Amino acid sequence: MNDTLINQPAGEDRPRQMYVLEETGFKEVPKKFRRFYRKWGGPSDTLAPNEVLCPVCKIVIRSLQELRVGDKVYCMPCMSRLIVQEEGGRLVARVNY
Amino acid sequence: MTNFLSGYSIQKWLESCPQGYLEDTVYGHEAGEKEPEGLFDNELLREGQIRSTCNLVLGERAALAASSGLVNCAPDYKSKTFLATQTLDEARHVEIFTQRLFDLGVSPADLEDTLNEFGNPHLVKFAEVLLEKVDKGDFVAGVVGQNIVLEGMAFSVFEMLHAGAQEDNPKFAHTLSGTIADERRHVGFGENRIGALIKQYPEKKAECERMQAEMSGHMLATFASAFKEGEASNEEARRLQKEQGKESHAMYHGVDLAQADTAEMEAVLADTVLKEFKTRLGRIGLEYQSPIAA
Repeated sequence: MNDTLINQPAGEDRPRQMYVLEETGFKEVPKKFRRFYRKWGGPSDTLAPNEVLCPVCKIVIRSLQELRVGDKVYCMPCMSRLIVQEEGGRLVARVNY
Repeated sequence: MTNFLSGYSIQKWLESCPQGYLEDTVYGHEAGEKEPEGLFDNELLREGQIRSTCNLVLGERAALAASSGLVNCAPDYKSKTFLATQTLDEARHVEIFTQRLFDLGVSPADLEDTLNEFGNPHLVKFAEVLLEKVDKGDFVAGVVGQNIVLEGMAFSVFEMLHAGAQEDNPKFAHTLSGTIADERRHVGFGENRIGALIKQYPEKKAECERMQAEMSGHMLATFASAFKEGEASNEEARRLQKEQGKESHAMYHGVDLAQADTAEMEAVLADTVLKEFKTRLGRIGLEYQSPIAA
């Protein structure tokens, strides 16, 4: 896995903002993947455009790219595969059973 | 997108857990960490910790029995593999919480008597509802009971205990951190596996919902008696903090655990767990049922 963003919709017309990820102290996955996740600080925690909250295990998933509706992301701490959707103007993740 | 089951392997579990967040831990905490000295000078405080740890051991023994039982009734090898790793996780939890009882001064010879004395009878009934499904080889109901209901409850209880221990007892907080990380995988398996299976077996819905209502009832009764029995110990901890001029603010879902009374703490925990049940069950296609009074 090179990014938590494992699949994105085809045919995008504008480029995505790229991000450099640094360690956040999250240790619940193997070392090489730790920068892709961080602990959630509760409802007051504002997520960046490259972040989405896993609804299953409440860990913030971080991508090297800006996330958009329709993206498929992977949450390694709970091993869920998720689809990014919009809800009330915010990006949320839904489990892809 | 490949099937979520492809993520379940012993190799991945080894890299995440024993070679990952559990590396260099001793019974789940950092080497050399000890229970706070003050616990051993105050019998009320020590007994309160023994009581709550006994219930952690009993809960984890139930999870061990359930996850190991589910290995044999799992319909595919990837699920069996995951449940085998979960079985080892649960056995580890039993061991680390049992070790905590020893660290708190319970002798190995007195372990079973101590568990019988302090174990919550409602928690035993909660486990019996689940284990009945597992004994019948009912995989769908067993995973809902184990990985959604039991693990969902454990996840919130551990988070609350972790919030309370972070400042005053780093050893216990570290022990809990590893178990919380394990619970994330367990609830993840529950949602992902059952989310797919419930579509295949819609006739199982009513039975699973009934079981959730029954288990939730026993869970609420467990919380009620556990918080009542822990009241004196909590009050004593606060009295000592005040006497020593210490001020702590352990926050859990907006409630200051260092200031809240036991009724408030019980309410926030019960509310958090039930809301989570409702959301999780809704996601996998089950309808949350109000708890059946125990």
